[in-house]
Amino acid sequence: MTTSTLRPPGRLRPSLLPLAFAAPALLLYLGFLVWPALQALWISLTDWDGLSDTQSFVGLANYRAMLDDPVVGIAAWNNVLWSLVTIALPMALGLLFAVVLNRKSRTSPILRTIFYAPAVLPLVSIASIWAWMYDPSDGAINTVLGAVGLSGFEQSWLGQDSTALWSVMVPAVWVRTGFPMLLYLAALQSIPDELYEAASVDGATRWQQFTRITFPSLRDTHYIVLALSLIESFKVFDLVYAMTYGGPGYSTQVMGTWMYANVFQYFEAGYGTAIAVVITIVAIAAGIPYVRSQVKSS
Amino acid sequence: MDATRHPDLSGHGSRRRFLTGALALPGAAALSSCASGIGTSSAATDGLTLLNYDDIDSATLLREQLAELETDTGVRTTLDTVPGSGAAQFPDKLRTRILGGNAPDLWQIWGGQIGQPFVDAGLTMDLAPYYESYVWEERLGAAGIDGMTFHGARHGAPLNVASLGAWCNARIFEEAGAAVPTTYDELEEANELILASGITPGGFGGKYGWHIMRLYEYLLEVTAGPELHDALLVGEESWDQQAVMESFDLFQAWNARGWITPGALGVAPPDAEQSFVQGTSAFTISGPWIESQYIVPSGKPREEFGTFLLPTGHEAVRHSGFVEGLMISSTSGAPDDAAAVIDHILQPEVQRELQNSQSAVLAAPPDPDEFPLSAQWTQIREESEIYTIQDQAFPKAVADSYFAVQSKVLQGNLSSAEAARDMQQIVKDWTDQR
Amino acid sequence: MTAQTAGSPVPAAPVPSRAPGEGRARPARDSRRSLARIGTTLGASIGALIWISPLILLVISAVRPLSDFLSNGPVSWPQELTLANFPEAWEAGRFGTAYLNSAFLLLVKVPLGVFVASLLAYALSKLEMPFRNAILFTVVLGMTIPIYIAIVPLFTMLRGVGMTDSILGIIPPYVAFGLPLQVLILQAFFRRVPDELLEAARIDGAGDVRIFFRMVLPLSVPALVTVAILDGVATWNELFLALSLLSSEENQTIPLGLLNFQGQFATNYTGLAAGILIAVVPILVLYMLLQKYIVGGLTAGATKG
Repeated sequence: MTTSTLRPPGRLRPSLLPLAFAAPALLLYLGFLVWPALQALWISLTDWDGLSDTQSFVGLANYRAMLDDPVVGIAAWNNVLWSLVTIALPMALGLLFAVVLNRKSRTSPILRTIFYAPAVLPLVSIASIWAWMYDPSDGAINTVLGAVGLSGFEQSWLGQDSTALWSVMVPAVWVRTGFPMLLYLAALQSIPDELYEAASVDGATRWQQFTRITFPSLRDTHYIVLALSLIESFKVFDLVYAMTYGGPGYSTQVMGTWMYANVFQYFEAGYGTAIAVVITIVAIAAGIPYVRSQVKSS
Repeated sequence: MDATRHPDLSGHGSRRRFLTGALALPGAAALSSCASGIGTSSAATDGLTLLNYDDIDSATLLREQLAELETDTGVRTTLDTVPGSGAAQFPDKLRTRILGGNAPDLWQIWGGQIGQPFVDAGLTMDLAPYYESYVWEERLGAAGIDGMTFHGARHGAPLNVASLGAWCNARIFEEAGAAVPTTYDELEEANELILASGITPGGFGGKYGWHIMRLYEYLLEVTAGPELHDALLVGEESWDQQAVMESFDLFQAWNARGWITPGALGVAPPDAEQSFVQGTSAFTISGPWIESQYIVPSGKPREEFGTFLLPTGHEAVRHSGFVEGLMISSTSGAPDDAAAVIDHILQPEVQRELQNSQSAVLAAPPDPDEFPLSAQWTQIREESEIYTIQDQAFPKAVADSYFAVQSKVLQGNLSSAEAARDMQQIVKDWTDQR
Repeated sequence: MTAQTAGSPVPAAPVPSRAPGEGRARPARDSRRSLARIGTTLGASIGALIWISPLILLVISAVRPLSDFLSNGPVSWPQELTLANFPEAWEAGRFGTAYLNSAFLLLVKVPLGVFVASLLAYALSKLEMPFRNAILFTVVLGMTIPIYIAIVPLFTMLRGVGMTDSILGIIPPYVAFGLPLQVLILQAFFRRVPDELLEAARIDGAGDVRIFFRMVLPLSVPALVTVAILDGVATWNELFLALSLLSSEENQTIPLGLLNFQGQFATNYTGLAAGILIAVVPILVLYMLLQKYIVGGLTAGATKG
């Protein structure tokens, strides 16, 4: 309210003006995101089948039932693996591509576009494309493996417990690398050239320049990329759903798909929503440090 | 969106009030929203809505028929379709629409445990009066009517009765020196011959579980026979017994000997179903739609393909089948019109216009000139009865557990004895729950 | 190239690695540099080729007849080239309608969402907002909330106001779920607009509304474009909400159009490939045209610390 004295009279009271700016977004946010999510919280405390007009309050029974559900165990573990891989690899590849492409050259913009391209594809297409790639008999991957004399490595990539989840991670990495690359590229361009010139004069190798200048300068970016990927990774649903449908068996179920199966297919809306609530709570908990750092630094 | 509407938010003390309000209300709102979850359908003024899962071509044909009905009677019907959804996703879509108060007046759905939840939730209308007034009972096949009967009441009118059998590439059979099998052992011999000729005998896709299930349920019919198979499906007999273990042994053997698509569990059903048309497998287990959807468009001569009833070695050779039908929403504003739409669709000449090669209408068998292979099934069905396809015998949650057992058996992670025990547990949990 | 020739008068054996000398080391290092440069470019190009290979497969599938695809499998050189899949795909996916709807969302929802987000971001970064941190915290936390937790309540809610199955009705939830990331990026960017600049304007008698429209927004074009592109891509491709909320065909969007290719038992792969290209090309072109703004926007956000 310190600026209020500067304001000409006749305008909105200073404490209201920021609210006027904030109101449209806040109303939409509360009305169409927070409110439905809170309603979901209530549904998770009922035995609603998602269809009938009757339901009863069952307290935390749905949450207790999760403890006895073996698929929840599989799904939770798959979520952990998924997070580790689809965070680490896109970060590493994104950084690598960014460093390589952070040069003024004629090819760089083209290559940049190529590496980012998967990120703009619709999900239906990504699932279909990679289904062709993984086809056991005449998919590109096995065909290429056979052609280079590695036919021993030919697999039914999506058709066995041991490889299915990893195989779904590949397109996820393919899609997710573009964004970190852009963020890293942006950050790289802000590192002053003089730093490198000075280091070069001091005889530092490219690798030394990378570890001593580039990498530390990107600390904020690492953090942002990490946090965004972490949050994104909890939402995993669509690729798994489209590519393996949680199978073979339950081997690639993640919390998101298991929630979906219960709510939309098994007519267990209460239980499925409880799973969704748990994912959301974990995601929120994981997101809090990042969000707090963002809020604090302002 | 002007700020003056929210002066209370700026007050410092109001934050708490606001938050508690937000927390306290959703319960009430959710209750009321769920209570009114089955919303009313659109009024009859803007016509009826029919929801199904036709692809573009079939939808175009159906739209023409609906337009014709409108010219004749003035009953206007809009067709919405969810193409590509199939039995795995279509029910979700229908459910979301019903929940949203946007329930279609009519919808197409599978029988058994797929249609059942909608009937149990009171969303469908008992069509008994229309069965009477339109004499559907006499015009539609008994198997179809059975499939649309829930708890003894007619909650739908059957549209299709699909019979599943082997659909094969006759050229591959011929070149391998394999004959159309008349016993299960001959089928195994045919498999060996075809395999020796360098081609995978059976094209099966295990993604979603339901396609490869068609092989397993056939093997179970072979080892258990009709009565035991039926009793197993409803949980009256224990799965933990010899015949079931044998069926899992066979299932495992089909995979181990290379009689099914390599890596079948990761293959999508459409890929597997059409592989015999492409010539990368010799046969698949499927229904008459295969002729109109794959064989005709392939442009290959019809003589290259064949279809046969899978031999089971039992006195009554049965085959798997399922029913699809039309239901009327209990909230439809114009049920009489909706029934008139169903009746129009079920007219034999309309069924022919729709090119239905598996019609439930008795007077609309597949045209032998247009669909010679499908037409054979009219004959086959006179001698062979249908057993309920397994993914419609079980609710989806149970079916998925069952598919997980199949998947483990195929990967060699579960012995036949363990699989039989697991199946018994799964079915018992389900029947106990009921 | 020039550096290489300059270094080559001495028909040198492979340059010893890391020559510590001073005079002689320079040309050697230059030549090594440029070799490394060529190597990097080559490596990057090969990497890019592998990276893009699934899309090459897609393009090949789109320009061959279905029968050719079915009889020869996905990985094979087409026996026959055709453009027939494109009109067929356009027709079958009803892309005419889908394009109109998706374009409408792109042109209405994206600017609206970005505008609303920037208003909030401005209030949070430059104005004396009560509970500022709490609000920022709550909004940004929304990023973590998966859309599917809210679908059933959302549906009932929109039904209450008769907005199910309507392109207009899907806009509010789209805006709501897009807000957290946009607000986060924009408020971080706005914070870097120097306060002195705004104070100077204030002293000149400009109000906050005027400052926002005349100074903050124009200064933030790169960030706004960045956010709009990210949001545009997300909106263009969104399937889950569209599938659940938009049921009739006149309301379908591009991803729903793509689903139209898949029949109950069959999949028209070449049509699907053509459809994917039809659906993807505009957004890809848009990205290529605007990519310098994205990088620029993110850079500007990152530099002025």
